Amino acid sequence: MLSVHGASRVLSRPLHNTCLNYIRRFASTSREEFDVVIVGGGPVGLALATALGSKPELNKSLKIALVEAGDLSKVRDWSPSPAAFSNRVVSLTNASQTFLQNIDSWDHIEQERTTPIEEMQVWDGVSDARITFSTSELGLPTPAEGMARLTETLNLQRSLLHHLITTPSVEVIDQSRVQSISPDEISGAWPSVMLDTGRVLKARLLVGADGPNSPVRAFAKIPSYGWSYDTQAIVCTMEHPPKGPFLGPNTTAYQRFLPTGPIAFLPISATASSLVWSTKPSLATALKACEPPVLSRMINAAFRLPEVSIRYLNNRILEAHEAGTPITDEEIRSEILWREQSHSIDTTSAYSSATVATSASSGIPPLDAEMVPPVVTSIQSGSIASFPLRYNHTESYVGEGQGSRTVLVGDAAHTVHPLAGQGLNLGLGDVECLARCIHQTVLRGGDIGSYTALLPYTQERYVENHKIMSACDKLHKLYRVSSGPIVQLRSVGLEILNELDSIKAALMMTAGSVSRTDRPLSYSSDTRAAMFGAAAKGFEGMRMAGQVLEVVKGGLVGFVGNALRNAPTTRQR
Amino acid sequence: MLQTHLLRSLSTVNANEIAHFTRLSAEWWNERGEFSFLHKMNPVRMQFIREKLVETTYDELPEEAVNAKKVRILEGLDVLDIGCGGGLLSESLARLGAKTTGIDAAESNIAIAQHHASLDSRLPRNLTYRHTPAESLLQEPKRYDVVCSMEVLEHVDNPVMFLKTCAELLKPSGHLFLSTISRTPLSYFLTIFMAEKVLRKVADGTHTYSKFINPSELLDFFHEFRSPSTPQDAETQARPWISRLYDGQPTRKEAELRGMIYNPLSASWILAPRGAWGATECNYLFWVRKPAALGGEASEH
Repeated sequence: MLSVHGASRVLSRPLHNTCLNYIRRFASTSREEFDVVIVGGGPVGLALATALGSKPELNKSLKIALVEAGDLSKVRDWSPSPAAFSNRVVSLTNASQTFLQNIDSWDHIEQERTTPIEEMQVWDGVSDARITFSTSELGLPTPAEGMARLTETLNLQRSLLHHLITTPSVEVIDQSRVQSISPDEISGAWPSVMLDTGRVLKARLLVGADGPNSPVRAFAKIPSYGWSYDTQAIVCTMEHPPKGPFLGPNTTAYQRFLPTGPIAFLPISATASSLVWSTKPSLATALKACEPPVLSRMINAAFRLPEVSIRYLNNRILEAHEAGTPITDEEIRSEILWREQSHSIDTTSAYSSATVATSASSGIPPLDAEMVPPVVTSIQSGSIASFPLRYNHTESYVGEGQGSRTVLVGDAAHTVHPLAGQGLNLGLGDVECLARCIHQTVLRGGDIGSYTALLPYTQERYVENHKIMSACDKLHKLYRVSSGPIVQLRSVGLEILNELDSIKAALMMTAGSVSRTDRPLSYSSDTRAAMFGAAAKGFEGMRMAGQVLEVVKGGLVGFVGNALRNAPTTRQR
Repeated sequence: MLQTHLLRSLSTVNANEIAHFTRLSAEWWNERGEFSFLHKMNPVRMQFIREKLVETTYDELPEEAVNAKKVRILEGLDVLDIGCGGGLLSESLARLGAKTTGIDAAESNIAIAQHHASLDSRLPRNLTYRHTPAESLLQEPKRYDVVCSMEVLEHVDNPVMFLKTCAELLKPSGHLFLSTISRTPLSYFLTIFMAEKVLRKVADGTHTYSKFINPSELLDFFHEFRSPSTPQDAETQARPWISRLYDGQPTRKEAELRGMIYNPLSASWILAPRGAWGATECNYLFWVRKPAALGGEASEH
């Protein structure tokens, strides 16, 4: 008892404290202290720094550092020619756009290099069942703005960086690689980030915005689970003639679900669009090795020909690649032409791509011109790339124990199949929530690195992200099946109705443009309004369920009816 | 032993309570341990303090002179945190700019609080801790703009004397913030039966049901209570701190009661809206304002 008392008295003696403080300060002369250290200068990391820096009242309270291994001046000075587009594009939902407007970054986006998505066409590669949705029918407040806006990742990054340069409370430290991260040996609480330039940053809160192989996640020992899809996504910038006078502008996104994975056509300008083609790794390698004109023809075919022919063409490409004799443009053209003829696709149809002359778009377009994307004529040089697809979700977004005071955002916390274009939007959703969480904590005098302060962030984002991630995962798996009862169900139309609706839902979930920046984290008067909203939605949901049930019932009756009607005929044979 | 004896005779401090918290002192800053409920409650208490100070400033200053978004809202104010424990509230108060003094009757708490504050070099230098009972501060001339005593009232021996001490330590127009627990069947069920006995989230023996204080008892106390007369504020003691109760409720400018409700689904506390039905049946916050000195009172009208 006595000794305990004695010890605590010594500890609390002011002189001792002063000594301790002196030693501490002496020992940490080379350490710089920051309230927030963000590792990773991608769009998510930049957005977080901007969001925190854009609140004038936080300027005095938060000292922020952003660490990036690459050279950000390349992003800052990025000025491409108007016709050339980078191969990495992002689809920003209206919610993401509103967030970017709220943090004053949207004005720095080069608007000429963005395209609104006004319509989406999604169809089943095997059964050709199709769903189309356009902004006018989604009931968005501003249909002219589109359901999402496509732009290059670099355009977004540059706009954030331009805004960040004018923010005094944020120090951007680029060309600095994180060498190691260690828990602080003195306090045992604040992590230190060692950079290869010799600088040591001590962080009250360490944010991992450092992508799928996050070093911050490794430091905080946050487990992550997931699987590889055995799929590579090929990306490139495709060039095509502008849409004809009788067609709308190039604002329709197309996506076809093939058994090898979805292929998507994403417009970025009148004559250029971006490709995201998810396919088997071996095929991706073979396609990338082809001459660019061959790839163009394969892209055109993949959007047009029946699945059986695409399978044949894929095998053809693979065989030629393995034999070491890459297929030539003329060979693939004649193959496609032959397949078109054998499927009796008329040369004037939009589904024909082998014989189309590039000037064809000037005349009256074929009746089915809206069903498929414009014919790709060439691919911008150097724009072909590919990356593996993974599903990953960490067990938590906040580190504990030795890894306390760390938090993960964006791809460091979750990677998702790109089929709904939600990856970056989820990341921006994280950033919006984390910035709100930090703001609230600062206003209440809390410690922004504490578990308690970060808990609302995990609570709000984990389930939200998981919903969308698993929707995308399920869709990918569902459409990889090319035969058997699932395809039958798909082609009967029941699953089409349901599952395609969930793409719509996945898109719609974040498509709302209602700002969430000012939403309080705790109970307040608008909780009541939210409750009424939820109740109303529940009612709506029940009504919808009723309608779906009706359709299913109708479908089943028709199905059974058909089966009965067919039964006698089969017996007659 | 001698020390606790002395404390008992001088103050409202309960020796058993102090022994209990001394045992737990090392746990103060384990956010997922014994005190996790307090850690989660802290933002709600701070929210209440913040909202109330902004509100009173709006009442006194022209609209455009108030910056409600300002972070350091307590800048320049002398703030006393009675029963600071490990310093959960004191640190938050200091971050909002207050010249904070945290006091606690348990010496080990003060050591923990000092140690923890020293870990955060960006914590302002205006945070001091003292091992002393509140009563002994009455001997000193210093008075405070804000006195907070969170989750303490239900642990003291003589609540009336304790409240008088808190009141006495305030400057005229000063703010007193308290939080405690109602003496209701619900509060017994939640804070003692569930939290201590069944779920064991809170150390057994932390709370004693008979020591809980009902909101009406606090209101009645300040409805009667007039600041003891001193020569300079002889005039102001004419009115009690709560001049009138309407249907059992004080007016917004004199006092306020707000319930704190724990939401087990989100594992967080929420600050119930003013006058929410049944919200003060368990944990609640209480704010009361010392009547202004003569000059100040005139400007209120």
